[in-house]
Amino acid sequence: MPQHEHMERHFKLHGRRMDAPERERKKEARLAHKRSEFSQKVHGIRAKLYHQRRYKEKATMRKTIAQHRERANQHANDEAVAEGALPAYLLDREGVSRAKVLSNTIKQKRKEKAGKWEVPIPKVKPVADDEMFKVQRTGTRKQKAWKRVVTKCTFVGDNFTRKNPKYERFIRPSGLRMKRANVTHPELKTTFQLDIIGVKKNPSSQLYTNLGVMTKGTVIEVNVSELGLVTTSGKVAWAKFAQVTNNPELDGCVNAVLLV
Amino acid sequence: MPVYNFKRIGPVPSAPDLVDIVLMRTQRKTPTVVHPGYKISRIRSFYMRKIKFTQQTISERLGNIIQDFPRLNDIHPFYADLCNTLYDRDHYKLALGQLNAAKGLVEQISRDMIRMVKYGDSLYRCKCLKRAALGRMCTVLKRQKASLAYLEEVRKHLSRLPALDPNTRTLLLCGLPNVGKSSFLNKVTRGNVEVQPYAFTTKSLFVGHCDYKYLRWQVIDTPGILDHPLEERNTIEMQSIIALAHLTCAVLYIMDISEHCGYTIEQQCRLFQGIKPLFANKQLIVVVNKVDQQPWETLEAEKREMIESVVKMGGGNCTLMPMSNITEHGVSQVKNAACEKLLEARVDARVASNKIDSVMNRLQVFQPQPRDNVQREAFIPESVKKQLEEDGGRPKPQKSRTGYAPTVDDPEADGDATMGDAAVKKTARDLMWENGGPGVWAPDYRAIYDLKEDEWKFDSIPEIIDGKNIADFVDPDIENRLAALELEEEQALKELEAANMENPEESDLESEEEAAVMAIRDRKKTIRLMKNTNKTNNRPMMPREFRGRAKDKHDPGARNKNEIEKRMEDLGVDASKMIERGRSLDREAARKRGRSRNRRDEDDATMEDAEPMDDDGQSKTKRKKARREREESRKRDPSVNKRTHNKPQTLEKKGLNEDTKATAKKMERKGRKGWAGGAGEGDNRKGVHLVKWMNTGKKRNGTHYCR
Ligand SMILES: Nc1nc2c(ncn2[C@@H]2O[C@H](COP(=O)(O)OP(=O)(O)OP(=O)(O)O)[C@@H](O)[C@H]2O)c(=O)[nH]1
Ligand SMILES: [Mg+2]
Repeated sequence: MPQHEHMERHFKLHGRRMDAPERERKKEARLAHKRSEFSQKVHGIRAKLYHQRRYKEKATMRKTIAQHRERANQHANDEAVAEGALPAYLLDREGVSRAKVLSNTIKQKRKEKAGKWEVPIPKVKPVADDEMFKVQRTGTRKQKAWKRVVTKCTFVGDNFTRKNPKYERFIRPSGLRMKRANVTHPELKTTFQLDIIGVKKNPSSQLYTNLGVMTKGTVIEVNVSELGLVTTSGKVAWAKFAQVTNNPELDGCVNAVLLV
Repeated sequence: MPVYNFKRIGPVPSAPDLVDIVLMRTQRKTPTVVHPGYKISRIRSFYMRKIKFTQQTISERLGNIIQDFPRLNDIHPFYADLCNTLYDRDHYKLALGQLNAAKGLVEQISRDMIRMVKYGDSLYRCKCLKRAALGRMCTVLKRQKASLAYLEEVRKHLSRLPALDPNTRTLLLCGLPNVGKSSFLNKVTRGNVEVQPYAFTTKSLFVGHCDYKYLRWQVIDTPGILDHPLEERNTIEMQSIIALAHLTCAVLYIMDISEHCGYTIEQQCRLFQGIKPLFANKQLIVVVNKVDQQPWETLEAEKREMIESVVKMGGGNCTLMPMSNITEHGVSQVKNAACEKLLEARVDARVASNKIDSVMNRLQVFQPQPRDNVQREAFIPESVKKQLEEDGGRPKPQKSRTGYAPTVDDPEADGDATMGDAAVKKTARDLMWENGGPGVWAPDYRAIYDLKEDEWKFDSIPEIIDGKNIADFVDPDIENRLAALELEEEQALKELEAANMENPEESDLESEEEAAVMAIRDRKKTIRLMKNTNKTNNRPMMPREFRGRAKDKHDPGARNKNEIEKRMEDLGVDASKMIERGRSLDREAARKRGRSRNRRDEDDATMEDAEPMDDDGQSKTKRKKARREREESRKRDPSVNKRTHNKPQTLEKKGLNEDTKATAKKMERKGRKGWAGGAGEGDNRKGVHLVKWMNTGKKRNGTHYCR
């Protein structure tokens, strides 16, 4: 009965067929042709995926080849001046490099300052009312058309109770209510799933803001207490603003960038 | 008792493969054509189906993996521990747990996204949501890359584990490396384990099977163990330890007394002491191996003493046996001794267990008491006795030689011949062989005919004599006998009748009534017969409730008063009360239904038409009114006289309004498609149609197929 590495054991005991290495060599040699044939024949999404994969493989191949050849390759020489040739009185100069660092920090600071007033998505396509709302006809004869159903994702607070149907002008369907958002910290480059606290500003309209509608570019407030962020004055920040970067009604989730 | 067959676990695809499998399946098995012009509900259900289907496929796949892999808590502790050392229990459980979590996540995603699709208001939006849903599910799968890869490795390894049954009769070989365990296994079984002159040749458990006393024995070869504490043992050694710890078996502790293995006898003894606790409750044999190199007798005295002290330490059920795999000295003795010991122990355990009671209760052994002091010995015929004496007390075995031709120089055949024909009766088969074998000679069965006179036996019987077939005259007086039989039967019948006449049935009925009863009974019988003959009920029956009263529908006379009266009269029943009751019921029902006044009148009118007799239940004025109305209605429309329920009801008559009528008409037009259970877009039907490229152009010389 075959147990464990029975194939290897069989090879050991009885050897392999005599042309085994030859066959293997040939198979490998044929591989390039087979691949080429396939890549010419394939089409559609499969082709796209296949070429993507091949591209990656080739890139890594090129890199490894370059690594192997490193010694033979010619590099541009960074140190134009040999070390020993520098006169002694110039040795402790740092000169240019330091100035560069300074300017960099200044730039960085400016950027950060500017960042305070800038949002990642400055321009937002406004959402029209008739896209946002669907008319719900009411009344026994469905002749009244004063009710609106919100067709986008919304945020509705925890203790929200619907109004009496007679007074409920805007219906926010519970299937489209969102509680959590995937928030990316732009500096840490990491994403967290955080609770939404409220909708701060929907750039399209104040009405949308009041309704808590989240579209692309909406600024929302998220609960960041888990992240342990600290404000400049040393307090722990528990809520921060974030801007929605996707169309939640198309993706089924809210993606946002933290505004820092 | 579970059988451990880990070979049946299905292959675990890698994460990218799994994603491919799932998406391809969705593409293949769900409808693919959708247009923005479709009704939104149709578009939504199209995409919802895609999401749901993908989720189902993933759940099924992951569920199968989780199901297939053995649960470490449920399997035999031997296997559980083995899995623990080989694959690391925590890792194993974590991997399966993660798959389970992934399954849950996928289900959650599908639920959420389907809920979102329900609010989709355009094809684009639904499509985006579907895309997002499938993408998220696939991401979940991709995250399981490591777990899936690990499980696939585990599966491969598990499937190559030897098929080891932890509960059967087992011999276990253990000892230091290189002492000759695998050589022994190869000698007693067909295990074919690798044998090499270096340590740790065997790196995992191996199994071979051998026979002893017509029973199957399982011999397990273990990797060698070194003498150090348990914590320092590596995976290879741990396998032996686990086998020792969990299997009930006979242990063969193999020692190399030639010390060719690289370990001294002292070291081997120390290992024995080290693992002694594992030998508790087991049959133990210390086997001193390689006695061809270093015979046991010429071993130095102190070393021999050392070994003997070790054997003594092993307790009562520990013995010492010398063996050599090269010369095969003692190999089968060792095997037999071990098997014998284990078999005894197993039987003892069986008897000692409480399960034995259930068997013993059903067994009872009787020892007959001697009745008197008379000796009753077996009867042996004189001839046999004589022969026994001749043969020197041993009877000669009579060899059955059925179907074999006796050879010329067969010593036994000669022996038979000398014994004489008196002793052995020649059978027809023997004769056949003597006369040339089958096909040449066949026995004459006439010799065994049982006739009055023996000389008749071989008389030839002609088929035809005097132009007549003798078979026709086999029984010359058959006619007489037949006549006698018939006479007898007649007699018997007469007697029966006479017996009946003697005590006729007491009846208090007049002859007329009796005739009626007989008639009724006859009719009943015929009715029953007719019913039974026509009752081929080989089709689905619709309940009465839905079928309606078929009789009423098709038999106009069924509710006709006259008909009823006639039929009841036939049966001898007064029908007037029945009719009265039926009518009052009808009236009641009509009132309840709240039919239009017109209909109610109509019904009443017909009722009165049919039966102009007194209405006890109604007052005089009411009756008058009814008659007047009836007259009026007659003037209005003579056709209303007809019973309405005989006609197939039109839509209007059913009391449907315009709206429902329209839908009903539409349903009728659409036929089966309008049904809830009709074919939908998910049903993969391919109509027969002409494929253009197959049916146009040249059809010669292969061009037709090559295009
Ligand atoms: N002279 C002699 N050599 C033997 C005998 N039995 C085994 N050997 C030799 O001992 C060596 C080791 O035998 P194995 O059967 O591989 O020993 P093992 O106990 O299975 O070793 P591991 O699997 O490494 O634990 C081989 O070279 C055998 O030829 C014997 O009875 N006499
Ligand atoms: Mg071995």
